[in-house]
Amino acid sequence: MPRNLRRIVLPLIPIGLGLAAWEVAARLGTVNGALFPPPSTILREVIGLHTRQWPERSLLLAHVAASLRRAAIACLIGAGAGIVCGLLIGVSRWVRRLLDPLITVLMPIPGIALAPLFIVWMGFGDPTIITIGAMASFFPITLGTATGVRSIDPQLVRAAQTMGARPLGTLITVYLPWSAGHLLAALKLGWARCWRTVIAVEFVAAASWGLGYMIWDASEYIRTGVVYGGLALLMLLYLLVERGVFESVERLTVRRWGMIRS
Amino acid sequence: MSTDPTQPRTGWIAPAMAVSGFLLPFALLAGAWELLVRLGLPPATVPAPSEIACRLWRLAFVDGVLGRHLTGSLYRLGIGYALACGAGLLVGTALATHRILREMFSPILSLLVSVPTIAWVPVLLLLMGLGDRTVIAAVFLGAVFAIAYHTLRGLEMIDPHHIRAARIMGASGPRLFVSVLLPGSLVSILTGARLGIGYAWRALVGGEMLSAMIRWGIGKMIYQARFWNDVTVMLAGLVVIGACGLLLDRLLVRWVERTTVERWGVVMRR
Repeated sequence: MPRNLRRIVLPLIPIGLGLAAWEVAARLGTVNGALFPPPSTILREVIGLHTRQWPERSLLLAHVAASLRRAAIACLIGAGAGIVCGLLIGVSRWVRRLLDPLITVLMPIPGIALAPLFIVWMGFGDPTIITIGAMASFFPITLGTATGVRSIDPQLVRAAQTMGARPLGTLITVYLPWSAGHLLAALKLGWARCWRTVIAVEFVAAASWGLGYMIWDASEYIRTGVVYGGLALLMLLYLLVERGVFESVERLTVRRWGMIRS
Repeated sequence: MSTDPTQPRTGWIAPAMAVSGFLLPFALLAGAWELLVRLGLPPATVPAPSEIACRLWRLAFVDGVLGRHLTGSLYRLGIGYALACGAGLLVGTALATHRILREMFSPILSLLVSVPTIAWVPVLLLLMGLGDRTVIAAVFLGAVFAIAYHTLRGLEMIDPHHIRAARIMGASGPRLFVSVLLPGSLVSILTGARLGIGYAWRALVGGEMLSAMIRWGIGKMIYQARFWNDVTVMLAGLVVIGACGLLLDRLLVRWVERTTVERWGVVMRR
């Protein structure tokens, strides 16, 4: 078997066998059909969410869109603040000494633990979810940017300054492009954390929409099909963004500039 | 007495400097925050750091509930994390030593990793009830993938000559694992263990918040404070969560690193 085919076909064997066994066991009643609905039922329920009110709107797409929109806004805010802080940390030793300990302690705090606090301060819904999501993406992006800036050859900076670049010019023409590799890796990490945090915070702080809200609501009413379907959707969406958005950005920037080899 | 300035400072001075350098930003932050609250700038729902510290003291020593919350949490963390270490090592080793298993299951592994740990909790609540078992399972799921993945990575990076040499000298099975595979991949495994305990700690807090039957747990403490809108308790809980996360990482994993890979000289001492 050619290598590429093998890499695609082999993982499908356990997945297919697992799903088939699940389907048969659930249909025969070997496992509790209410807790483990057969995969065909899960698929039907997910499609049902999409088609039920279809011509006017799709409930499924509305949930997905709400989560994606929140995560995108949060990640943009986190990236903006993170890149600025990361540049400052990378350039100035004093800023690094001040911010490093704070980041070390604050970064591991789970986003969902901040939810009750921000619910009191900002209420249910978008403001709370987006704020916590932005904080989640802020830390890895800050650290990644700082690492990128510190890995730059000081000769480059000196050369630019000798040729008369002002501080802002050095920032844009030297620091940003030369730390792009680290920056992109950091953005990927920031996005992953942001997405996870948004879903988690939606469990407790969403008012009516969002994939996290959909899954949580379905589990409260023991609609297991929607819960499993929601989990599968989470995997699918993550892969789509990872493969679709980040890999094409990588191809267009750092790979084209020859900073990393494909 | 004069000291030689070319020698690095020894004894208690250097660690004390490092610790105070670490604590200084927190002191500055707390001071600025305190000042702002005293000036009455933020709304009334933002308590002063002194208020949070007082409440923390009361929770810990007057009411004594903090200890019960913490023991509840650490119990779940300990069981879930121990299970995750065992299973992660087993799965990682199995995938590393059998090519066909690796090609079948490693894409599935990376697919499962992409699900946020907390998203398993609704499923676990349905399957395992609203109590301890769900939280322990969440802790397990949080840590196991990172440990399995880094075990696989570590074993793949071992020089095949070492394995062949050990085999020629008659080592196989458990003997080979203990004396060649494990030491050779320990740096990577410890990275996995370190990431894993961070994920486990997060999953623990989230799981406790979402499981209705849990009464004692640091996540529950924060969640319960919501019913009285008690922001001071929430912030006190966050302080404890941050401190415990740091301590788990620094004390536990750093200690293991220092007694194994650093002593063996596999990695440089930091």
